[in-house]
Amino acid sequence: MIELRSIGKTYVRPTGETVRALVDVSFRIDRGEFIAIVGTSGSGKSTMMNILGLLDQPSVGSYLLDGRDVAGLRVNDQARVRNKKVGFVFQTFHLLPRTSALENVELPLLYSDRTSIKGLGRQALEAVKLADRIHHRPSELSGGQQQRVAIARALVNEPDLLLADEPTGNLDSRSAMEIMAIFQALHRAGRTVVLVTHDREIAAHCNRIARIEAGRIVSDELVAQPKDALKYTPQEAR
Amino acid sequence: MSTARLVQHSIRTMARYKLRTGFMMLGSLVGVTALTLVVSVGQAFEGKMTTMFSRIFGDSAIVISDGGGRMMGGPHGPGIRLKIDDIEALAKELPGIQGWDPEQQLSGVDLKHGAATDSAAGIQGDSERFAQVWGRGLTEGEYFDTTAVRGSARVALIGETVAKELYPNQDPIGADLEIGSVPFRVIGVLEPWGTNPHGMDQDNFVVVPITTLMRRLTNVDTISTAKLIMSDPTQASQLSGGIRQILRQRHALDTGQPDDFTILTPIDAQKEIGSIKKVLFLYLPLVAGIFLVVGGFVAASLMLVSVNERVGEIGLRRAVGAQPGDIRLQFLIETAATTLAGGLAGVALGYLGARLGANKMHLQNILVWNAAFLGIAASTLTGLLAGLVPALRAARLNPADALR
Repeated sequence: MIELRSIGKTYVRPTGETVRALVDVSFRIDRGEFIAIVGTSGSGKSTMMNILGLLDQPSVGSYLLDGRDVAGLRVNDQARVRNKKVGFVFQTFHLLPRTSALENVELPLLYSDRTSIKGLGRQALEAVKLADRIHHRPSELSGGQQQRVAIARALVNEPDLLLADEPTGNLDSRSAMEIMAIFQALHRAGRTVVLVTHDREIAAHCNRIARIEAGRIVSDELVAQPKDALKYTPQEAR
Repeated sequence: MSTARLVQHSIRTMARYKLRTGFMMLGSLVGVTALTLVVSVGQAFEGKMTTMFSRIFGDSAIVISDGGGRMMGGPHGPGIRLKIDDIEALAKELPGIQGWDPEQQLSGVDLKHGAATDSAAGIQGDSERFAQVWGRGLTEGEYFDTTAVRGSARVALIGETVAKELYPNQDPIGADLEIGSVPFRVIGVLEPWGTNPHGMDQDNFVVVPITTLMRRLTNVDTISTAKLIMSDPTQASQLSGGIRQILRQRHALDTGQPDDFTILTPIDAQKEIGSIKKVLFLYLPLVAGIFLVVGGFVAASLMLVSVNERVGEIGLRRAVGAQPGDIRLQFLIETAATTLAGGLAGVALGYLGARLGANKMHLQNILVWNAAFLGIAASTLTGLLAGLVPALRAARLNPADALR
């Protein structure tokens, strides 16, 4: 589903210094995988995530998404691809303040060309077990609940790919496991999930771990026995 | 992307930030209120003004008033010297004067009939040529004649308001009327003229022979105004020059001394209307426009702050599929919808103000549609211009940077 071919990304800092964030990365992710991209800060994992999500363009190389080269697409076409095919989950949730959970979840629908959007937001919230919090504002929700709203938002447009950037970074460990359990459930339901993290414990819940260092993939292996997030705090994650 | 959905969404977003939205509205609210007020009252006022000037001047009158260098209705200067003889001399010496009527006024004298009193009425003395020169008709009765003027007869023409107040249940013709303590007889009722632009009721008036006013009601030998009818209106400026020369001579003014009278021709009147119009339709709207511009800058800077505050939100919108054009449109709509809302409130407020003001000034038929249209257009334009820079800046943000 995803194929990166010799991707390189070079930044020029305002100081004039050149940074090679990604160097000759070639990488495949198949449909239905649950993969963690692990690295320390500055390793290039965020750049990797931005390129996978079409938020940033590689300096060299090509990016095939469902067989189509999307690296060279124009800005508006990239936006269309993001809207249809990619769902994002961020460390800081990025929910609109003073706005109900439902309206937050419906945000991607605002930019879609669907003619009917009725009921989709509610369904997505039901899928993350927040049907009773539809009209709550972010300030009235716990961190874990806010992240679940964000996941519902990422899912509302039925994307092929779910990209999560440190989704548990701002959560206590119990809420973190709650979120990981949702990702695992989504994986079991056949979704492709890419999770970027620095946390090995979190990564251990995925089925494949790719390690990135100084802009290169240094290891890439399948996990024989992924940890089950439900086993951590079963009563919370249900 | 559906634009209708985005418009709804943007307006809901603005509704969530009430304080900021309120401040952004303020400029267009004040500006459009002022604009609506000024334009709608101005239009009514101008209409009134034009009617009044055409009543006074028609297209062939020259008005001479005592005192030099003052506007109509302004305070009298010292040395009031205009007399009937002066005007008579003008009519004799200058060709092309078809008719003339001297006038003197008196106020602060009560009118009485039996127990009824009218203390707000103005009293005016004119010659037997009043009807011919001023063109004010009668609804009943008749004018006073030469004999009445020569003999200082105690006869009076009364306005509609006077008729209503003093003779509510009777025909005033032939009835008694006390002016001060002098008894008069009512011989005619003047056709109604409504109020003048100063808000004075022109029907609360009594016209008596000027000689009667000068000798029996007061003791003056001067007049306040004289109206001359020209046989050829194109000769107005020559005639006005001749009048000036003769009057200066008769008043023995030295070359250095200013005129002690004022001559107004239809051309002067047009100029005066023009300068009033300039204030009404140029300077006052300009002030309103300045409010709008200032309000626009306030809205623009608040919106810029808002863009800086909402960088994360903009990044997120881009991530979930917003194109730069969608972001641009959103911020433009937010700003324009806000100033437009301010503008609509301003139109309403301005209209209310205009109604109040019009009541005070006795204006009718306030034309508010032009003003409302202007206000709505101006506030929307302000919003679009104010939103432009913030919207462009927001749309230019790189999504990856914005999300960091």
